[in-house]
Amino acid sequence: MKRIFALYADVMDNISVFVGQACSVLFFACIAISAAEVVLRYGFDAPTLWSTELAMTLCASAWVLSVGYVTQRHRHISITMMELIVGERVWRIFRLFQMLIATGALFVLTLALHHPASKVLGRTEYSGTAMNSLAPTYLKVLLFVGCIFYILQLLANIVRWTQNTEGDLTGGH
Amino acid sequence: ETFNIQTSFNAGDFSTQYITENWLPEIEARTEGRIKIILTPNGSVVPARETPDAVAAGVIDGDFTSVNYFAGLEPAYAIMGDLISGYDTPEQMLGFCKDGGGEAMMQKAADAITDGEVTVVACGPYSREALAARTPIRTFEDLQGMKIRSPEGLAAAVFSAAGASPVSIPFSEVFGALEKGIVDAADASAYVNNDATGLQDVAPYPLYPGIHSMPSMQLTVNTAKWDGLSADDQAALRTWWYDAMYAMAAEVSKQDAEIAARDDATDKIEVIDWAQEDRDQLRVVARQQWEDYAKKSELAQEALDAHIAYMTKIGLFK
Amino acid sequence: MGIEIITLLIVASLLGLMALGVPLGITTLTVSLATAILYFGERAGFFIVAANVGEVLHKYELIAVPFFVFMANVLERSGIAKSMFDSMAIMGGRFRGSVGVQTTFVAVLLAAMSGIMGGEIVMLGLIALPQMMRLGYDRKLAIGIICAAGALATLIPPSVVLIIYGLAAQVSITKLFAASAVPGLILATLYIIYILVRVRLNPSLAPIYDVPETGLPFFQRMRYLKGIILPALLIGTVLGVIYSGVATVTEAAAIGAVGALVVAAARKELNWVMARDAMRQTVLTVGSIIWLVIGAVSLIGIYNRIGGGEFLRGVLTSLDIGPIWVIVVMMLIVMVLGTFLEWIAIIFITVPIFAPVVIDLGFDPVWFGVLFAMNIQMYYLSPPFGPACFFLKSVAPKEIQLQEIFVAVLPFIALQAVGLFLVLAFPQLALWLPSMLD
Ligand code: NA
Ligand code: NA
Repeated sequence: MKRIFALYADVMDNISVFVGQACSVLFFACIAISAAEVVLRYGFDAPTLWSTELAMTLCASAWVLSVGYVTQRHRHISITMMELIVGERVWRIFRLFQMLIATGALFVLTLALHHPASKVLGRTEYSGTAMNSLAPTYLKVLLFVGCIFYILQLLANIVRWTQNTEGDLTGGH
Repeated sequence: ETFNIQTSFNAGDFSTQYITENWLPEIEARTEGRIKIILTPNGSVVPARETPDAVAAGVIDGDFTSVNYFAGLEPAYAIMGDLISGYDTPEQMLGFCKDGGGEAMMQKAADAITDGEVTVVACGPYSREALAARTPIRTFEDLQGMKIRSPEGLAAAVFSAAGASPVSIPFSEVFGALEKGIVDAADASAYVNNDATGLQDVAPYPLYPGIHSMPSMQLTVNTAKWDGLSADDQAALRTWWYDAMYAMAAEVSKQDAEIAARDDATDKIEVIDWAQEDRDQLRVVARQQWEDYAKKSELAQEALDAHIAYMTKIGLFK
Repeated sequence: MGIEIITLLIVASLLGLMALGVPLGITTLTVSLATAILYFGERAGFFIVAANVGEVLHKYELIAVPFFVFMANVLERSGIAKSMFDSMAIMGGRFRGSVGVQTTFVAVLLAAMSGIMGGEIVMLGLIALPQMMRLGYDRKLAIGIICAAGALATLIPPSVVLIIYGLAAQVSITKLFAASAVPGLILATLYIIYILVRVRLNPSLAPIYDVPETGLPFFQRMRYLKGIILPALLIGTVLGVIYSGVATVTEAAAIGAVGALVVAAARKELNWVMARDAMRQTVLTVGSIIWLVIGAVSLIGIYNRIGGGEFLRGVLTSLDIGPIWVIVVMMLIVMVLGTFLEWIAIIFITVPIFAPVVIDLGFDPVWFGVLFAMNIQMYYLSPPFGPACFFLKSVAPKEIQLQEIFVAVLPFIALQAVGLFLVLAFPQLALWLPSMLD
C-alpha cells in the first residue's frame, strides 16, 4: 500500500512538473501575439479582432495549469513566522493542517465551480465580442479542471508528508 | 420588501445619482413602503455578465442592467440590447419594449439562459451614446479606415461594413488608447458621463448625437420574489420603471445637449453632428449586419423581426 | 448578526489562518467560502464566489504581470542587471547610498510604464534586490526601497487604480493623472531623503562599492555609462511606444519582454536554455501570484451584499466632526478595509459612499482621488495583508521570509503617511498641475 501511494506521488509530481513547464510555451505565445498585434495595427493598419481574447485565453491557461507545478515546488506564498516560535516538530503538524485546509477549501471551491462549468457545457457561452470566441465556456471549465489538478497535487504532497519524503520546504504548500 | 438590485451604471454616473435621488424614494412612496430598492453599482456583487444567474440564484434580487453584456449567452440579447444605428431616440425603443412586444422578447431570452427563475419587469434604453473621437469623422465616408474601439460583435460588424477598422482594446485601456492615438474613436457613454470622466479632453471631436449605440436596459426580479408581490405592486413597479426611464431619457438628453453646446463653443472641442443623409446611409449598411447577426439563433431572428415590424409601424422604415 | 461582528470574525479568522501558515490565497478563499455559505446558503454562496473567482481569468490588465516577470528574469539571468548595477555603483562613485537613490529613480521610470501594482514590484524584486544585496546593501533597506518605490506604479500615471476610481467617482481621469504626478514624486523624494539619512547615520547599511573605478574623477567614471546604455534603451523603447501611441500599456510590456531578449542577444548572452529557464521561473512566480489574486477577489461582492456599504454610510452620517476629519475617517476606513479586502472591492464599497460626501463637504474629488490612491498604496505595503510584500516574496531569494519583508517596509509606510499628510494638508500639491489644464 505504501508503495502504491509513493508511486502516486511520483507520478503526480512528474505530471505537474511537465504540465507546468509546458505552460512556458503558452506565455511565449502570449508575448508573441501581443507584440504582433502592435506591428499589425501600427505597421500595417490592420488591427485584429482576435489578439486580445487569444492572448487572454493563453495566459489564463498558463495561470491555471501551472498550479500543480507551483504546488509541487511549494511556491505558494505563506507566512512562516510560527515555525520559529513553535519549533520544527510542531510545525510539521502545522504543515499537515495547512495542506488539509487547502484541500478542503479547494474541494468546496470545486463544488462551487461545478455548476457554472456544467452549465456552459450544456449551453455554450460565447464572448459576445466581435470574435465571439468560446473563451467564457473554456475558462469556466478550465478553472474547474485547475482546482482538481491542485487537489491532486496536494494529495501527493500529503503522501510525501506521511512518508517523510518531502523535498525543499522553504515555501508554502 | 427590500430589493437588492445590481445596475450596470458606475457608482458616480449621472444616471445612478438621478435614479437614487429622484426615483428610489418614489417607488417607496408609490407602494407605501412595500417596495424599497437598494441599487448597487456595476460589478459590485457579481461581474456584469453574471447577473441573470445571480438573480436566479438569489444572490441579488434583480438587475437593472444593460443587456448587451449577455450577448454571448444568447445572440438575441445583442439584437435586443443594442440594435446598432437602429432607432433615432430612446423614446422610440422604450415604446417598442412597453407596447411593441419588446418585454415578451426579453422574457424569452431570459428563459433561454436561466431556468425560468428570472422575471423581466420592463426594458428599454435611456440614452444614445456619443462616439468619442480624437480625429474628426464628419460624414459617412470619413469612417473609411478609422480605427474604432468597439468590442461588441454587432457594433464591430457594422463599423467594419462601413469601412472602419474595429479594434478590440480592453476597457481599462480605452482612455489611454484615445489619449495617445492608438485608436481614432471609441464607444463610450452618454455625453454627460463622458464629460465627467474627461473623455472630451483626449477625444475632442465627439460625435453627438451618437451614430451607433443606444444600449437597452432591463429590470428583472427573481421570480419567487416577484410572485410574492401583489398584482398592484407588480404593476406599480413596472409603471414606476418606465416613468423613471422616460424622465431620465428626457433629462439626459437635455443635459447632453447643454454640455455639448457648451463644449462646442470652446476652441478645444468640436462637437460633430452627422447630417440625416449620413445617418440614413449608415442605417442601410447596419440593417444588412442585423440580418446577418440574427442568423445566429432563432430567438435573435424573432427579436429582429419584432424590431423591424415596430420600426416599420412607427415609420423608421417604409 | 451585525456587520460589525461579521467584520471582526472575518478579520480574526484571516489572521488566524495566516498565522498558522496557510497559504495566503487559500486563507482568503477559505474565509470567503465560509462567509458566503453561512450567510447566503449553499446555492447563492457557491455562486457569488464562483462568479467572482472566474472573473480573474478575464482581467486583461493582469497579462502584463508575466510579461514583466519574464523581462526581469531575462535581464537578471543574462547578466544585464549585474552590469547595469555595476555601472550605477561606479557612476555613483564614493557617494554613500548612491545605488539606493538610483534604484528609486529607476523605479519612478518603471512606474511610468506600468499601470498595475504587482508588475513593477516583481520586476524590481528580480533585478534590483539580488544586485543590491551583492553590493552589500542592508537587506531590509533594499527590500523597503523596492516595495515602496515599486508601489509608485499606482500613483505615477498610468494607473489602473486611478482609472477605476475615476470611473467609479466620475471624475476626469486626465486630471487624476495630472494630480497624482507631483505627490508621486514627493513620495520618491521622501524615500531618497530617508535613504541618505539612514546611510549617513549607519554607513554599514550601504557600503561603498569597493573597486578602484569608484575613486576615479567624475568625468572618467562616465565611461561606465556603457553598462546602462542597453537597459536604458529598453526602458526608453517601452516608454516610447506607450507615450507615442504605438501600443497600449499591456502591449508595451510584451514589447519590453521581446526587447529584453533582443538586448540579451546584442550582448551575445541569449541562448535557448536561458530563455527556457527564465520562462519556467516566470511560470512559477505568476502561478503563485494568481492564487493570491483569486483568493483576494473571492471576498468581492460578499461584504458589499452583507451590508458593508450601508454600515459605512451609517458611520459617516453619524459623525459630528469637522470636514477635514471626515476625510481622515474615510482614509482610516480604507486602511481598515485594506486589512482584508482587495483594492477593487474597497473601491466598489467606499467610492459610491465617499464621493458624494466629499463633494458635499466642498472638497475636490480629484484631490480625494489622489489621497485615495496614496491610501491604497499604504494598504498595499502594510502587514498582515500587504500584497506588495507578497509580490516581492514571490520573486525574492528563498532565505527572505515574509515576516522580514513586513518589518522592512514599516519605515516606508511611515514615509507614505507623511506624504499622505502633506497632500491632505496642502491640497495644492495635487491640484495645481490639473488646474493648469483648464
Ligand atoms: Na504607473
Ligand atoms: Na495591508
